[in-house]
Amino acid sequence: MKPVTTLIIIALSTLLILAVSPYLGLTVDDPAIQHHILTQLRLPRVLFAFIAGAGLALCGMVFQAMFHNPLATPFTLGVASGASLGAAIYVYLGFSFTIVGLDGGAFAAFIGALVAISFVYSISRYQNGFSPETLLLTGVAISFFFSSLILFTQYLSNLTDSFQILRWLMGSLTTVGYQDIMQLLPFVTLCVTAILWLTRELNLLMAGDDIALSRGVSVDKIRYSLFFVTSLCVGAIVALCGPIGFIGMMVPHICRLLIGSDHRWLAPASLLFGGAFLIVCDTIARLIIAPAEIPVGVITTLLGGPFFLWLLIKSKSQGA
Amino acid sequence: MTLLLDVDNLSVTVANKDLLSSISFQLKKGDYLCVLGPNGAGKSTLLKALMGIIKSTEGVISLNKQSLSDLSQKQLARQISYVPQVQSQPLNFSVIDFIKMARYAYHSAFSDWSADDQQALEHAIHITSTDLFLHRQMNTLSGGEAQRVMIAAALCQQTPLLLLDEPTSFLDPHHQVEVHQLIQNLNQQHNISIIEVSHDLNHAAQHSQHILALKQGHHLWYGASSDLLQTERLQALYQQQFVFTSHPQTGAVVALPSENKLGEAQ
Repeated sequence: MKPVTTLIIIALSTLLILAVSPYLGLTVDDPAIQHHILTQLRLPRVLFAFIAGAGLALCGMVFQAMFHNPLATPFTLGVASGASLGAAIYVYLGFSFTIVGLDGGAFAAFIGALVAISFVYSISRYQNGFSPETLLLTGVAISFFFSSLILFTQYLSNLTDSFQILRWLMGSLTTVGYQDIMQLLPFVTLCVTAILWLTRELNLLMAGDDIALSRGVSVDKIRYSLFFVTSLCVGAIVALCGPIGFIGMMVPHICRLLIGSDHRWLAPASLLFGGAFLIVCDTIARLIIAPAEIPVGVITTLLGGPFFLWLLIKSKSQGA
Repeated sequence: MTLLLDVDNLSVTVANKDLLSSISFQLKKGDYLCVLGPNGAGKSTLLKALMGIIKSTEGVISLNKQSLSDLSQKQLARQISYVPQVQSQPLNFSVIDFIKMARYAYHSAFSDWSADDQQALEHAIHITSTDLFLHRQMNTLSGGEAQRVMIAAALCQQTPLLLLDEPTSFLDPHHQVEVHQLIQNLNQQHNISIIEVSHDLNHAAQHSQHILALKQGHHLWYGASSDLLQTERLQALYQQQFVFTSHPQTGAVVALPSENKLGEAQ
């Protein structure tokens, strides 16, 4: 199948999911209440899930291309943990500030993400290139390190803050309204625009730094720009709905199987698929033990864990 | 002939190790230079410094009288192309897509594929005879095929200077000859200047025009390739004795490693 056909099919499926999912699990009969639930609760939630899922999937795709590793994502490399720590400290210190109308938590998470990514990158660079094992182990170590700092922050916090941190760490879209969308949209839009702009560079980075440089890509400049925008994006998403794991690993990989490795097609496909995927996961999280809900992060991680193992075994058996 | 490349006092230090110390040489347009030297001599480092892959360099490299440090990476990629020693990343691109990607330096973010691009592509494919497997995936190619694709991609960049890092090291004799003929053809018919890193003394002596011999990052010898195959010269370079004979077909002098250890009487 031609990439353009695949992309159209993905786009149509996404539209279908966007249209149908708000109506699922609608238990009240009163039309007025129905209307209120749909427009004030469901619609913003679905839109938010789409934006967050799209952002996470694209950031995952960028990490996989830059580190030449299907298992490298903002989550496996500890960047999301860094963002979580930033956001947790923001809650603990009781800060409440805005920068040009945007919530300070997102910026705190962004700084945490940037610290983590600088750490992983400098270590993997010091270790003579990106050996997949070094990279993932560094990510694991950083995740543990930041997780214990989050626990420490939580321990120091009072009960309300502590619960707030815990609830949010599970990754959830429950309390989302239109104002959250407006908080998230600028970060994700910036990141998506930058990534769609740099698809040819991503293609060349996949061939390795030496090839990319010899073709004329300013590798360091591109890499630092991508680190910057993905940190912003992951930071904002993590600050607003917690670390929703594994989307960034699963979605680009599935899309690569569907549409190929060319980022000019892979990027839009991952964006749409990622958005639709998080909507589906969130709908499942909403329905599975209705009327109660489980955090969507639980669903994505339950799906993602086995997927991660499968990729690991597959890449080992191929010797890649 | 006019001067293409002028390397003046080039030194490269990475992590406190001197990989290259004060290397100077010149390359005229249409020249074919082979860089020889034992492992760890800094041959690959030299190519990477020229290509802007290693940036921690001292000294001046100028191309057409313009300093390389004044060029952006994109401008550089329109002047110099590079075929690395091994392609380490397994790639999920088709051959044609991979070759097309080499036109990056001529494009901005959303520019279309132009007639010039198409011409460069067809030319590169034609010279390298890669048309037989254009739609195969990169990761399914044999060593010889992959090397031809890498050269095709470099040609697609339409640069006056081509750098090749041991282009035949991992190939069987048949494909070695094939790739060597291709390089000769590029140099002689298409007037592309070439710097090739090689361990193949006889190939270098017969087919290239000049030799640059490096040892432990230092300049050891530079001269015409016809002067390469001499006892003292090779012995100083490789710490190895050589014996000489002539090729039964062409009569050209051929060097072979001697059975004797260095210092033993012949």
